[in-house]
Amino acid sequence: MKFCSIIILFSFSFGQSLDQLDLNLKKLNSVLETASRSSQKVFVDDFTGLL
Amino acid sequence: MLELYPETLIPVEWHSSGFTPGGSDFDIPAYSTRAALYNVGGIPHTQWNGTESTVGGFPNGNWQAFIGDFTNIYNGMVGNDTPYEIEINGYAGNTVNYDVTVSMDSDMSNSNQKVDIFLVEDNIWSYWSGASSYHNARNVAREWLASENMTINTSGQNETFSGSFNYNDNWNSDSLQIIAIVQNYSTKQVYQASIVNINDMDPDIDDDGILNNLDNCLESWNPGQEDEDGDLIGDVCDPCNNLVFSLGNSNGDTDVDGNPLVDIMDVLTLADYLAFDVQDNICQEPTLNINQDNHINIVDVINLVQQILNGG
Repeated sequence: MKFCSIIILFSFSFGQSLDQLDLNLKKLNSVLETASRSSQKVFVDDFTGLL
Repeated sequence: MLELYPETLIPVEWHSSGFTPGGSDFDIPAYSTRAALYNVGGIPHTQWNGTESTVGGFPNGNWQAFIGDFTNIYNGMVGNDTPYEIEINGYAGNTVNYDVTVSMDSDMSNSNQKVDIFLVEDNIWSYWSGASSYHNARNVAREWLASENMTINTSGQNETFSGSFNYNDNWNSDSLQIIAIVQNYSTKQVYQASIVNINDMDPDIDDDGILNNLDNCLESWNPGQEDEDGDLIGDVCDPCNNLVFSLGNSNGDTDVDGNPLVDIMDVLTLADYLAFDVQDNICQEPTLNINQDNHINIVDVINLVQQILNGG
């Protein structure tokens, strides 16, 4: 019984670590995707001739 | 400001007939159309990314007094996220051919979304009687080359707009630049802009020896221009072989000889499409309009079943 409890406790802890790793990887993926998004230039219709 | 931000600030200088250097040819008919877009009344008027404007001022041409306002507007816009990237390629020979390719890295509706393409001439030294001084006119609008509806709306898609123009003897060909923008004509917002000198355009962006305007795969090396299904899209960049995804063969399966296999599975695929709007792949939809009436409906199911029963 004690042995089973240890196994269950170990599996639970290990599973939580994997969940945290997966969450961090998803966050990193989101940051990288955002960083690679196109960056806007500024366009001006200049009705002055003096820009 | 162009000296400060040469890479990220892209202006087009529009001239009305009443506000242009004496004896110049800067005023073009397109001025009225572009000015009407923003209800331009008094000059001077600057419109930033289609949405913010500065109107009036500039006594004796003293635009420098507004540099602070201009810089604030610029800083609020530059570098913002946008789903669009624009590349301008082409070849400047006796005629100038251009290819403007817009690509998307995130989804955005294409409703009222247009691609506008302008030809400008940079660095024209000219005398302004109103300011009693000479001025280096930058990016003077020479022609409004195109205004096209955009059809793409999904990350990963791209669309190319091609055209050409002839030189005018009054222009300095070394100073000609093509500007392309993506603008929403409902909100007037400009989402992206790009500029290139016509002499810096890449005539063959995939270096396969086939000029861009003749290449059936613009960005994929294919010197042989193979096109098995004859749809003018080269095999190396064609996601759909129309010889396989023929009418009725919506799941794209083939027999042992590679011929399209139209069977009950295609009927089920068509039923899924009608009932649940399910599309398994991008090649599917054209194959579902069995009776070619531009509507995919129950009539196409009946026609497909008949086709199968008749051994076709």
